[in-house]
Formats: sequence, structure tokens, C-alpha cells
Amino acid sequence: MYFKYIFLFFVLLNLTSCSDKKEVAYNYDGTFNSEKGGTLIDAMSGEPSNLISMIAGDSASSAISGNIFNKLIKYDKNLELAPEIAEKWTISSDQKTITFYLKKNLKWSDGHDLTSEDVFFTWKLVTDDKTRTPYGSDYKLVDRAEVPDLHTFRVVYKKAYAPALDSWATLQILPKHILKDEDINRTFFSRKPVGSSYYKLAQWVNGEKLTLEASPSSVMGEPNISNLTSRFIPDTSSQFLELIADNIDLMNINPIQFARVIPSKPDLKNKLALYKELGNSYTYLGFNSKHLPFNDIKVRQAINYAIDKQEIIDGVLLGLGEPVASPYKPGTRWSNRTLHPYPYDKNQALKLLREAGFNDTNHDGILEKDGKPFTFEILTNQNKQREMTAVLIQRRLKDVGIDVKIRVIEWASFVNQFIKTGDFDAVILGWSLSLDPDQYNIWHSSQQKPGQFNFIGYNNKEVDQLLEEGRTELNPDKREKIYHAFSKILLRDSPVIYLYAGYGLTAMSKRIKGIESPTPPAGIAYNSYEWFIPSTVRRNEIAQ
Amino acid sequence: MLIGISLISFFIMHLAPGDITASESAFNPKASEESRQKLRALYNLDKPLITQYGLWLKRIVKLDFGNSFASHQRPVLWETKDDKGNVTKGMIQDALPITLMINLIGLIIIFVLSIFLGVVSAVNQNRWPDRLITVIVFIGFAIPGFWLALLLMYWTGVTHSWLPISGLHSAGYEKMGQIAQYLDLFKHLILPVFVSSLGGLASISLYVRNGMLDVLQQEFITTARAKGLTENKVVYGHALRNTLLPLITIVGLSIPGLIGGSVIGESIFAISGMGKLFFDAVLMRDFPVVMGILTIGSVLTLFGNLIADIGYAWADPRIRRGITN
Amino acid sequence: MKILTQNPLALSGFIIIVAVLFIAIFAPWLSPYDPNYIDIHSILLPPSVSHFMGTDGLGRDVFSRMLYGSRISLLVGIVAVGIATVIGTFLGAIAGFYRGYIDSIIMRFVDTMLSIPTFFLILAVIAFLTPSIWNIMIVIGLTSWMGVTRLVRAEFLSLRNREYILAAEAMGASDFRLISKHLLPNSLTPIIVTSVLGIASAVLTESGLSFLGLGVQAPQSSWGNILTDGKEYIQFAWWLSLFPGLAILITVLGYNLLGEGLRDLLDPKNKNQKK
Repeated sequence: MYFKYIFLFFVLLNLTSCSDKKEVAYNYDGTFNSEKGGTLIDAMSGEPSNLISMIAGDSASSAISGNIFNKLIKYDKNLELAPEIAEKWTISSDQKTITFYLKKNLKWSDGHDLTSEDVFFTWKLVTDDKTRTPYGSDYKLVDRAEVPDLHTFRVVYKKAYAPALDSWATLQILPKHILKDEDINRTFFSRKPVGSSYYKLAQWVNGEKLTLEASPSSVMGEPNISNLTSRFIPDTSSQFLELIADNIDLMNINPIQFARVIPSKPDLKNKLALYKELGNSYTYLGFNSKHLPFNDIKVRQAINYAIDKQEIIDGVLLGLGEPVASPYKPGTRWSNRTLHPYPYDKNQALKLLREAGFNDTNHDGILEKDGKPFTFEILTNQNKQREMTAVLIQRRLKDVGIDVKIRVIEWASFVNQFIKTGDFDAVILGWSLSLDPDQYNIWHSSQQKPGQFNFIGYNNKEVDQLLEEGRTELNPDKREKIYHAFSKILLRDSPVIYLYAGYGLTAMSKRIKGIESPTPPAGIAYNSYEWFIPSTVRRNEIAQ
Repeated sequence: MLIGISLISFFIMHLAPGDITASESAFNPKASEESRQKLRALYNLDKPLITQYGLWLKRIVKLDFGNSFASHQRPVLWETKDDKGNVTKGMIQDALPITLMINLIGLIIIFVLSIFLGVVSAVNQNRWPDRLITVIVFIGFAIPGFWLALLLMYWTGVTHSWLPISGLHSAGYEKMGQIAQYLDLFKHLILPVFVSSLGGLASISLYVRNGMLDVLQQEFITTARAKGLTENKVVYGHALRNTLLPLITIVGLSIPGLIGGSVIGESIFAISGMGKLFFDAVLMRDFPVVMGILTIGSVLTLFGNLIADIGYAWADPRIRRGITN
Repeated sequence: MKILTQNPLALSGFIIIVAVLFIAIFAPWLSPYDPNYIDIHSILLPPSVSHFMGTDGLGRDVFSRMLYGSRISLLVGIVAVGIATVIGTFLGAIAGFYRGYIDSIIMRFVDTMLSIPTFFLILAVIAFLTPSIWNIMIVIGLTSWMGVTRLVRAEFLSLRNREYILAAEAMGASDFRLISKHLLPNSLTPIIVTSVLGIASAVLTESGLSFLGLGVQAPQSSWGNILTDGKEYIQFAWWLSLFPGLAILITVLGYNLLGEGLRDLLDPKNKNQKK
């Protein structure tokens, strides 16, 4: 009876909620011409913390600030460096000086001129010791920066630094005229930014949503879609319900939703378009080279042969990922096409383990060396995919006689208790597939102190030398050779086992048009300013 | 007392491995260890624990809860204004009202409904209404909250669009009239309040039922019945009042709980309340926020005890006697 | 035993608990599959004849995993709640009986424990302990006794001045006798209710702990972690959340029915009622 009342209650509510939500059967098919206007609503799991990207550490912040601020240069759709507010740049013959030439007539959204003074000011900020930024180190290598005139910005490095251009493709330029007397760590500007790019902030309701509106003075031209609203919905299941109820237009989905849920429902297939693109990171199993027996290359290679990567991709990602053989995005110039992942080969694994001195002397199914059984612990953080991966690895290694334990640990404890202290056997973690090939911080043998990133203790003189060379070589063709050689050694040494690079999966309402097909290497979002929403299929915004 | 609690909490908090620098940029190769050390120094995380605690205590006695360690640096408790008149809202200030509202409504519903269900159960002991109620409240208790929440969201939000799915306000909330705004908020609150109260019904209705059964067997009830009072008067006038006694402890216990929300519930309904605030702060090791919430929690715990003690005296004259003896 | 045969509900509770215990003990013989057998070609199959409760994200048989999981979930529930109930009742009884100073000290201790963030306590513990079921049970037990203490104390305070207690005291009954023969049996109601509900909470807390790195570690299953895993797949695989939810519900109901029977047996107030 209590349920009956609840039911009645809903019915009554339905009556009172008048007619603001009619089921409209939109027709999304057909050809449309691009037009301006409309609102795109997406969902974000986290709320941005700070719209000054050099201070914020979270992805939500950079997603929003990227629409508000400009950089000197950017990566284009093929992931090559291209002009943004700098129309061109030149590199001196000694490779130590880079000069950027800014476009003319650049304006901030409040009408002030954007000049190389602003760029200089931003560089000053990011290198200032008082600025609370974790990203200063790249820019501190600049020996001196100069502003010869209002359209030119020049940086001189002590010695040639190849990742420099990449660093200028990530630094968002801030307005000097607003921030010069402010404390950058505390300024209200982080919640009320003034930028120069496509959009400006219209509204930000804590814990609820953030809305951007097209900026008329955008230096990039006017985007087609007038408003971008991001709703903060932490739970992805709830996001998905909002998506199928047509309350949001765009979200990142998981492999189950991509491969199983949406294809099995015709009504969803009709209103949602699915996109997949190569993601920006790969997942690996990394060994602590300071722990026995992982100092033995044969043991690492054996484990590499014993793990079936395709099985992991099929089981954990439902096939929505790729194996990788180098720490670079497949298809980019840095990725060495001649390299292939270790195939799944149990016999080869057993052979290598025998060569390394492991035998099942007591016939319990577990290999021993010097009387000690081969058993180790894989640590990973709270991440469903990594946990499932660990279970699959556990099973495969058991096949060759290695006993694996799995332990899942909360992130901050994981970092401080295990990674920093080096108190682990093996970890499952991810690294990003960086656009600049420099990975000195991750693989160079000098980077093993607590808190540094070569926590697996990888140590190879040849690799050290290549990484040092690559850092000072700005010529892309020469760099390519260096990093192809580096990748080859890395694959042979197997200090980490590349497991997979998962696809980024997006579901988008079909009302959004203008998405490039096939998906370019940079992903669908690279031309989001060209997307448009035909007025016939827009949400009824007045009724809401 | 409060100092003791806060001291212990402070030390336990720091016993857990990690600090803010582990969560924010620990795995960005672009972020150097030096910059993390700089941050630690900035937040005094490099000082001995007892010094850190002293600094915190010095601020808190002036009711200064400090600022979050997160990169937004928002004030923990209450809004601040900069010299240009821009107001930054406090984190607890943002999260508390909504949590308090949901919990208060929930608590009232739980108590009213539980007392009703418990009494009906007790009066009909071991007959079908009793059994039915027991089974229903247990289903409510054992059903996974996220499961029920998502199911209801799907049913009332996607298939029927009777209720909004998540959040607290509809898209055009700002443009609505006063009444429409209240109605809008009300509609957004129905599911969260329903799901969060359902789990609480079991324990309290069982306390009421069993307490009621105990009381109904005591001499004074027999006396009251013998005096010829109607059954209703016996049950609601005499027995219920005596049953409420242990319930007062529970009310006292619930008071600190009023500021705590369920992390899963808040995440699913996209409500930024205290549960999510605390959970995120713990995972980030955002110590000022954690300590701020704990401090308010301890104050409320002590306050709840007071309420419980006063409540006893009101409900049971014998205790008053016992305490004053 | 007599009380069980007299009270059909207590009997049914008893039967449920015995049945679950039976399943837990004989899981290896009852399971149709190896609970950890992975088959990535049959992931997320709905319930069918061959997979009674469907399969999970790695193609493992959910039914077998539920059977094995019952071992951990039952053990965690009973032992953790046992620890909490014993500590809670003991401290609550002392506080409520002696009142005054002792009461103040114990209750301030309770307040302190309640105010300390359990979550951090667990994180701190993880740093020093390795994951094992015993550690889980101890951690849950040691951090969840405060509610019992407060309720028992409240009950004692209210019973302390009843005529029959005062009379017994006047007749020279020892403190121990007063507590164990007169006060405790009359305070069973809150103890039983909290314990029964505590068992269900403990089962769920266990799954929370695996996430923090202390709980049952993969590939072992427990009802709690099957349920948590189910959340990931809820839009597609309802069976992953439904079955563990149902199992927890049935077990808790069983405990409750049994608890009621136990109360009838032990509670002196009920004796005069029986014909």
C-alpha cells in the first residue's frame, strides 16, 4: 500500500511538471549546413579546481582552461607542431635560441591587446619560485627571455633543449594587465578568468556546473557552438543515464557501454554516435630491477613471453585497445614501426626461465631457484581495469610456474608507502604516450631518487646516452633515429612489459554535427570549434 | 576533550602514508620532485608533527579553519572576500546546507515511519503485519543503495521523465520563479532522500518494535489496562513514551551523522555534499579540510551526548532520580 | 533446542543460517566450476542453465564465486561483530552499572573513538599490516563497538533503579551476579538488534576494505566484492549486483529471526508470558 502511494505520488508529480518535457522525435539524419548558436552539454566526473592551468593539477581544469586560453603553438590534427598565437617560430643554428613571432591584433576578451609582454610575464610567473606550480622545471632551463618588440618573444637556452617546443605548446598565456599585482596562488582570477581563445566563462556554480560562452573577440575566430555547459556528475553510471535521457550530449564511456550496452539498444543507436580514438596512455607491468630475480633480463623477457597481451585487450577492454611495442603513440613518427610486442609463447618463457636457473625441483608446480620458490606480488591502485589485468597475468604466470599475489592499494598510500620507498616487486601502472619523445625523467639511470620517476630502477648506459643525445637534438629526423634506437633497446631489456593502450571512447548525441571522420590522430575534439548544432535539432532551451 | 580528540585525529591522519603532493601531480613526469618539496615547505608539511599541530591549534582557537591544500585554495569553512570584493565561498559552507537538509528530512521520515511501523509490528506481534513489516524494512536495509538508486533513476527519469535524474537544479533554474524553484528543488530531492532513508528504517523500527514488546509486558502496563484505559491510550500514552527512551540515545548518536553524507549516494545523484567532500579530502590528503570536518563532527558528538542525557531525564523520571542520588 | 521447535520463525532463521554455513563449508563440492577459472570468451553471460547466476567481467562463474565468497562473508560478519559486541557490551555494562567516574571515562573514550576517522585508522593500519581476513575482522571489530556500548549503557542506566534490581542488591547479590543475571538478560534487545544489523554492515565494510588494500585480494571472492564489482556493470549485467544483494538480505533475515528466538530464550521478561 505504501508502494501504491509512492506510485500515486509520482503520477501527481508528473501532472504538476506540466509540459516542459515533451518527447520530441528529432530527425538527426540528412545533411546540414554549419550554423552558429546552440548549447552543448557534457558531463565531467570532477570539478575543475583552478582555471590557471600552470597551478591546477587536474584534467578537468585543463579541459576547461584549454577553451579559454591560448598557447604560442599547438599540436595539429596529425600531432605535428603548428602555429597558434605565434604565426611562426625560428630556431637559431646553434639550436639554443627560439624566436616566436606573434600574430598581429591579438586581443584579450576584455578588449586589451595581447602582446609578447604577456608571454614574457607568463614565463616569469611559471619560473617564479613563489608560484605554486609543479611544472616550472622545463621553463627554468631558459637562460634568458627577451621581448624585442610587442610581437616577438625570444628565449635563449644554456644548451640546446629539444623538448622546449613541446613545453611552449602546453603553456597557456595569461594576461599581464590583470595579474601583474596579484598573488597568482590566491587570485580570484582562477575562478573568473580572462582569456583570449574561443570561449569565456559565463557561469560557475560550485558542485553543479560550469558554462562557457563564445567570446566575440576570440583571436581564433568565433566557434560555431555558442555555449558549452559542463555538468559535474561524479558517477559515470549516472552520467550515462543522463546521456540516454538526452540531458547531456557528450560523455566518455567505458568498453562495456561502447561494445555491449549501446549496440544492443536500437533507440540508443539512433540518437548516439560512437567514436573511438587511440588514447593518450599505455598500461604496463613494471619490475623493480633492484629486487631479485628481476635484475635478470632473461626473467623479465620470460615473463613478457608468458603474458598474453591480446587476451588482456580482449578480456579487459573488450578488444577496444592496441598492443604497443614502444612508449610512443602508434602512428606517430616517434613510434618505431619495425618493433613488435613479444608474442605469447609459453615454451620460450619456460626455456628462458630454465636458463635463468629456475626449475621445479620439488614438483609442486612452482619453479624454484636455490631452493626458493618464484613468487612475487603485483601492486596496483584502485582501478578496475588494472585489477582485472592483474588477475589475467596471475593466471598466465601460474601456467609457467610463477606464483603471483595481487594487492590493490589506495593511491596516496601506494605512492608514498611503496613507490617512493622502492618497496615493491612489480606494479601495474600507466604512463602517458607523450607527444614529445623525450622520456629522460622516466628511463635515465640518474632519475632513481625517491620521488623521481625511474622508480623501477632501470639502468642502461646505452639508453642513458641516447636519452641525453635526444634532449639536445632539435632536428626531428635525427631525433627520430635516436628514439627508434632507444625504443628498440627498451623492448629488448623489458624493464616494463607493455600491456595495452586503450582507446578513448566517446558517445555523442547525433545533434552535434561537423565531427571529422575518419578520426584524425589527434582525436575528434581537435576541431570542436567547428562542430555545430543545426537549429532544427536543438533542445528547446526556452522551456527549460 | 576536544583538544584530545583533535590531537589523536591529527596524528592518525598523518600516520596514513602520503600527503597532498602524492595525489596532485605525483605521476606527471613534468612535475619535478623539487617543486613538490617546495609545496611541502609551503604547507609546513616538512615540520615535526607536533609543530604542525600547534600551528593548526593556534588557528582553530580563533575559529580560523584555514584554506584547502588543493590548488583552488578555497577557505575550508566560510567565505572570504578579497580587496576587489570577489567572494570565495567556503567548502563546508557550500556542502553543509544540502547535506543537512537531506539528512534532516530523512531523519524525520525515518523516525516517524519507524515509530509507526514499530508500533504496528509490536501490537501485531508475530502476525502477518509484523512479518511483512520486518521483511520490508530488511529489504530496505540490505538492498544495495547504488542499485536501487540507479534503478529508480532509470525508471523515474529515463523511461518516464517524472523526476530529474541527478543534480539539484534543472538547467533553467536561475530563470524560474520562487515557487517553481522550490518545486524544482523538491523534485530533485525526492530520490536522494528516499534512498538514503530506506536503509535507516530497519534498525529504528526494530528498536521500537522490540522495545515496545518489552514495555508491554511490564507491570505498569498491566495496571493501566486493569484501570480500564483504552488499548490505544495504553499503547500510545504509556507504552510508547517508555519505548522512546533508548531511541533518544539513537537520536543523540545521529546528530554527528547529520553532517555526514553517503559518498556513493552523493556521487550517484551528483550532489556535492559533505560525504563526497570528506572522502575526496581524505584521498587527496587535504588535511585542513579533513580536520575542519572532524572538528565540527566532534563538537556535534559532544552536543549529541548532551541532548541524549537531557532527553533521558525528560522521558524517564527514574533516571533523574538515579543521577541526582 | 526446545525454543526452536516451539517457535517456527526462530526455527526458520536457524535453518537459513545452518544452510548458509553448510554452503560455506562445502563450497568446493557444491561449486559447478572453479571460482577463479577465467574464460574471456564467455564474459558477462546472463544467468542460464550452465551458469546459474551468469558470469562476471572475466567470464568466471558467479554462482561458484558466490559459494566460495560465502565463507569469507560469513566469517567476517560473525567474527567482526562478535568482537564488537563483546567489547561493546562489556564496556557499556561497566559504564552503566558503576556510573559516576567510570562512566565518564568510558563514555569519553567512546566519544573519542567515534570522532576518530575510521578511514584514516585503516589507512594507517594498511601501512603496517599485510592483507589477510583476520586483519580485516579485527579492524572492523575494533572500530565498530561504540554503538553497542552506548546502547547497553543506556539500557543499564534505565534498569539500574528498577525495584527488582534494587531488591536484589539489597539482598546482597554481588556486582557480577547483578550484571550477569539481572541486568544483562534484560538488555538483550538492543544488543541483538545491533549485532544482526552489524553483521550486514560488516559484510559490506569488508568490500570497502579490499579497495583500500586490506581486504580480500583478487582473485578471491566475497559477497561484498562481487557486489562492488557489479556496480561497474550495472547497465548491462544486473545479475552481478542482484545475487550478492539477495544473499546478504537472506542471511541478515536469517540472523534476525534467529536473534529473536534467542531473545525469547534468554530474556527473563518473556518467561511469564509463556503458558
